[in-house]
Amino acid sequence: MKAAIIYTSVTGNTSALAEIIQEKMEVKGLAADLIPADEFQKIHLNEYDIVAVGTYSWDNGEIPLEMEEIYEAFESANVKGLTTGVFGTGDSFYPYYCGAVDLFRDMLYVHTNLAVTLKVELTPQEEDLARCEKFCDRLLSEVAVFS
Amino acid sequence: MSDINQPLTKIKLLNPTYPNKATGLINGESSGLLNWNDIAYPQMYDLYQTLLANFWKAQEINMQDDIKQWDYLTETEKDIFLRINTQLASLDSLQTPTMTHVMDYVTDSSFKAIFAVIAQQEAVHNESYSYILSSLVPLREQNQRFDQAKEDPIVRKRNQLILDSYESFRENPTPQRLFELAINSINLEGIYFYAGFAFFYHLARQQKMLKTSTMISYIQRDEMQHAYFVSQFVRILLTENPELNTEENIQFVYNTIDQAVQLEKEWADYILKDIEGIDLEEFHGYVEYLANKRFRQIGLDNYYPERENPMQWIHVFSDEMMNETKSDFFEQKSRTYTKVSSSNGFDEL
Repeated sequence: MKAAIIYTSVTGNTSALAEIIQEKMEVKGLAADLIPADEFQKIHLNEYDIVAVGTYSWDNGEIPLEMEEIYEAFESANVKGLTTGVFGTGDSFYPYYCGAVDLFRDMLYVHTNLAVTLKVELTPQEEDLARCEKFCDRLLSEVAVFS
Repeated sequence: MSDINQPLTKIKLLNPTYPNKATGLINGESSGLLNWNDIAYPQMYDLYQTLLANFWKAQEINMQDDIKQWDYLTETEKDIFLRINTQLASLDSLQTPTMTHVMDYVTDSSFKAIFAVIAQQEAVHNESYSYILSSLVPLREQNQRFDQAKEDPIVRKRNQLILDSYESFRENPTPQRLFELAINSINLEGIYFYAGFAFFYHLARQQKMLKTSTMISYIQRDEMQHAYFVSQFVRILLTENPELNTEENIQFVYNTIDQAVQLEKEWADYILKDIEGIDLEEFHGYVEYLANKRFRQIGLDNYYPERENPMQWIHVFSDEMMNETKSDFFEQKSRTYTKVSSSNGFDEL
């Protein structure tokens, strides 16, 4: 089984979250490729069984510019059977908390087998570690069922 | 390595032999010309754009509804409304000149430009409090209320923490004092506004004074981005100047923000005690939750116990809530996909 975590980060919060998710997957016996958004061209979505997408949100809960290509790749590739999850960090004081996670969620639900979403407020805290664990569990159990 | 206690020199407007892309936030070489396509921290351009997109002015908001409702507020609500209004106005009054003052000593032109935009926004906030006041009470009472804010011992005690730091940078603008000023700016913009915000959003929850709270919501959005910018400024300042990144300075951050937290609790206990529906114990927890966010934004650990936001109704209004949005016309994007939720068979954590 192959897994990738494709992410972008501006302050380091989302990359911290991506690393936690990678560690949790490793503990569960799955070595996931950690891929920053600017290295996305080097991979093919079809090579993977699981892809987790990580993004911060910008402005009015929008998808950051550097994630647009990735968003479109899911739309144009044939990835109906790919199990996906989306995670992100944001500030809940804004009206569209982690809005980019929601936008990815709606798209991934249509084009892939979306298993789970995760929102974290700014830098991950203690309690978020357990949520990351659940995030991985959900992805893994979904693959077991789906494939 | 620069001496953190050596005064920064006020930089020349133009230094033609230096590069446009600054070599440092402070004590750097910079021509003084700004080309946004060639800056040291490209993410600052995004932030600049976001700040500009926030542009609003008080006069766009019609106060008629609030003017009518004003007469139906209780005497206590009116009194607290006016006291909080003038207290917030006095905080914003400090911020405009301080931001422009800092500009003189920052060597990166892109940061100067952002400080200029922040100063402009603080001026708008200041005006909006005047605009609200002018809609509701005569000039004589406005002046009395400003005098009240100037004399109030608790307001003075709160402001003193900030003032001491800002003044000390004015007297001797060293890197150390710039760092301390930045932390106190986070206190002012990121902690000190929230008892006031709580009051106005609490009125809004009861459908009272919604035009005022619309302005408060715009102000909160601006202030959140200012606090975010200043936290980025602090992180870059500490990274570029490791001599500032000391145990003592980290301790300074914890101590100073903690002081602001205690002062904000004290202020809330005093100003909000007669407001039914705001639980002061809960607000204390809220201020700690808020401060934890500020610590994490600077890259530090939580200082207070980890907790969920206990007062989720204190937040920026969404466009839908505002029902009259100037930006809607330009920004309405068609969404390709239908909104889905956990009822569609996936988990939302």
